[in-house]
Amino acid sequence: MKHIDKIMRAVAFYTAVAVFLTLLPIVLSYSLGYKIDYNEFKIYKTGMIYVSSHPAGANVLINGRLHGDLTPTRMEELKPGTYKVEVRREGFYPWERDMEVRPNMVTKADRIILFPVAQEMKKVATSEIADFAISENGKIYYFTRYGLFRSDIEGGSLKKLSGYSAWPKNIIGKKFSPETDRLLYFDGYKVFVIRLDAGKAQPKGGETAKVEEVFASSDPIVDVFWYPGSSYIMVVSEKDIKVAELREGALKRNIASIYKFNSRPRGVYYNEDAGILYFTDKKSDAVSEEDRCLYKLELKENFFNNMIRMLVKRETDEGYEKR
Amino acid sequence: MKRDRFYRRLFEIIPGALTWGTILGLFAFAFIRPVWVAIFVIVFDLFWVTRMLYLTTLLVFAYRRLAREKGIDWVKRCQELSPVDGLKCSHIYQAVLFPVYKEGMDVLRASIDALMRSNYPKDKMIVVLSVEERAGAEPWESAVRLAGLYKDKFFRFIATRHPDNIPGEIKVKGANAAWGAKVLKDFADSRKIDHSHIVISCFDADTCVEREYFGCLAWHYLTNPDRNRSSYQPIPVYNNNIWHARSIARILELASSFMQMIETMRVEKFVTFSSHSMSFKTLVDVGYWPVDMISDDSAIYWKCFLHFNGRYTVIPMYVTVSMDVATEKGIIPTIVKQYRQKRRWAWGVENFPFVMMGFRKKNSIPLGVKIRRAFNILECHYTWAVWAVIVSLIAPLPLLFGGGLFRQTTIGYNLPSVSAALFRVSMLTVLIFIFITVKLLPPRPPDVKPQKRIIMIMQWFFSPVVALVLGSTPAIDAQTRLMLGKYMKFYVTSKHRHISKQDIA
Repeated sequence: MKHIDKIMRAVAFYTAVAVFLTLLPIVLSYSLGYKIDYNEFKIYKTGMIYVSSHPAGANVLINGRLHGDLTPTRMEELKPGTYKVEVRREGFYPWERDMEVRPNMVTKADRIILFPVAQEMKKVATSEIADFAISENGKIYYFTRYGLFRSDIEGGSLKKLSGYSAWPKNIIGKKFSPETDRLLYFDGYKVFVIRLDAGKAQPKGGETAKVEEVFASSDPIVDVFWYPGSSYIMVVSEKDIKVAELREGALKRNIASIYKFNSRPRGVYYNEDAGILYFTDKKSDAVSEEDRCLYKLELKENFFNNMIRMLVKRETDEGYEKR
Repeated sequence: MKRDRFYRRLFEIIPGALTWGTILGLFAFAFIRPVWVAIFVIVFDLFWVTRMLYLTTLLVFAYRRLAREKGIDWVKRCQELSPVDGLKCSHIYQAVLFPVYKEGMDVLRASIDALMRSNYPKDKMIVVLSVEERAGAEPWESAVRLAGLYKDKFFRFIATRHPDNIPGEIKVKGANAAWGAKVLKDFADSRKIDHSHIVISCFDADTCVEREYFGCLAWHYLTNPDRNRSSYQPIPVYNNNIWHARSIARILELASSFMQMIETMRVEKFVTFSSHSMSFKTLVDVGYWPVDMISDDSAIYWKCFLHFNGRYTVIPMYVTVSMDVATEKGIIPTIVKQYRQKRRWAWGVENFPFVMMGFRKKNSIPLGVKIRRAFNILECHYTWAVWAVIVSLIAPLPLLFGGGLFRQTTIGYNLPSVSAALFRVSMLTVLIFIFITVKLLPPRPPDVKPQKRIIMIMQWFFSPVVALVLGSTPAIDAQTRLMLGKYMKFYVTSKHRHISKQDIA
């Protein structure tokens, strides 16, 4: 090894050592959240605030002073304490919060949503609309005093489906059947079904939708659900759960009460995929109204069909209510 | 005897135990003390980046030296030397020993042709092909054919067969090399050639020397007052088939070339590697290459080091010897081949117990030297085994297992960004690697498309991925085997040449 190589290597080695020893406290103190005050030769603990917003690119003010970077950003080497953090972006409502910075810790505000000041409104339809429903396949159905209309999701291709206009005043709920070929709606005591594909069976020029009252209850209705296949509905009233068969134009429908509540249900949930109905009810031996249980009723197709068959049979034998 | 066995096992266990202790310790601490591990990772990353920058600087120095000495007519320089200790250039015989296993005729012929192209007087060159008997008839027949072809071209061309199952030997290259050297000794003695007038080079079968190699070797040998207490190490490059090798294999072989170049700048820890040369007298005096160790190339250095009580050095020579890149046609077979080759290199960790056992018995070596050299071996193998694991696998552990509280700390938050920033700084060295790669590349063969040059450059940007796959794992494997006493067998890296249409024509 030549002498000059030795010198160069020594220079390189000691430079590397010097670089390592110089950078080590800087990198470590930065990583750990310490700040070195070179003027006073003091080390103190700091913390950090991390801010991200949706949409990104908002200004951040900390104690009223503008931070250089836009969101998402972090403000480092903050002395422990409380800071007023504001997130502002033109055209959006500002966001602000007092955030506490703890030593060697990161305080995060990473789910800030900025809402636009002026929403862009677009008029979809102008007729006198009593109510409406939007199907999963992107159609809007309008219940108007001139009848039932349908448009695409932007309000275009408006088409009158039916002249029916006797809509209930207080529609509680509207539900499309799983196949989206029917739409049910109900008020406190009645359930109606609109057959949206009725036009297929009609001569050209006839109405393409048909509205039919399918169920009337003597007890206030809590909720109504579709059973897969769209040929049955489940009506949950304050007194019981009934299933009703939907047979077009039937004068009499098969209706079965499958459960009688001990008390008015306070919550009902139907899992369409699993075919399970969940509800709360007071225990039969309960002394207090609050002594309630959560029940589940499995209404899988085979079980349900068999049950309906059985009920229909029993109905004849035992004189179950028939409509 | 029992005590010796105990110490040998202890020294065999130490490297693996250190490596596994580090890996498992960091893994465990990532759960219980994630902040400590995060601090360790950042310190290690910074250390590694600084080390990379330092070593790359040495690489630049070594490359400059290599480029500067490229045009020197070493033979002429030798001839101009006045006799040193009564020794003149014309006295020096260059003996070249090729231990051969199953390497084909094409591989050997290219290596011997390279000897023919060297500018050293051929009447001062002795070639020895020592063929393993267990390799079968074909390699031996090739050796005999080659002896017939080249017998008049050199002072002597010897083909010999290394018998299998000699007591005390294991199936390693060193045993074959030792056999060839003994045959050479018989020949030298029969011709009454002074052993100190012979410089022996032990080459892998695929080693092709530069034109000036033997001139350079002779000059260093003559001008070195401690010529018999030195080995002479050229810079190995893997140019023979580099244009036809897989990128992953090219990166690894280029990296090992660069590492050797860097080592030439650190002579105090420089150890012989692969093809190397030394005084034949010394080789005979120390009892030839070890016949029971896989890493014969470095083991011979340590054998000499112990024999001469620590007064033995390796002289770097800024000439290249070119070898084959260990490659295959498919990517997976190439990775497997590279893995096995690197694991064999990493098996050099067997030198640690060998040297430590030697140190125990050699009171004449100063304690300071013993500590320094033992540390050098250990540090080299330890960092080889742990660096990629720490950088890639341990670094994310505090974040994965440190829990929500750790992620809320500033160090938990800064760990990924600081590590990434340090990694980007280390990638600056890639630019230097690209520059030196381009400079060291042999001319592009006609059957290789010009676009391949771009691949040769771009391949370096994948080096971190290659390092993750083949950086530490072979070393961990080798150290674990040694630790558990599951000793490795010699895996011969098969050498196949790409035959271009031109060659066939």
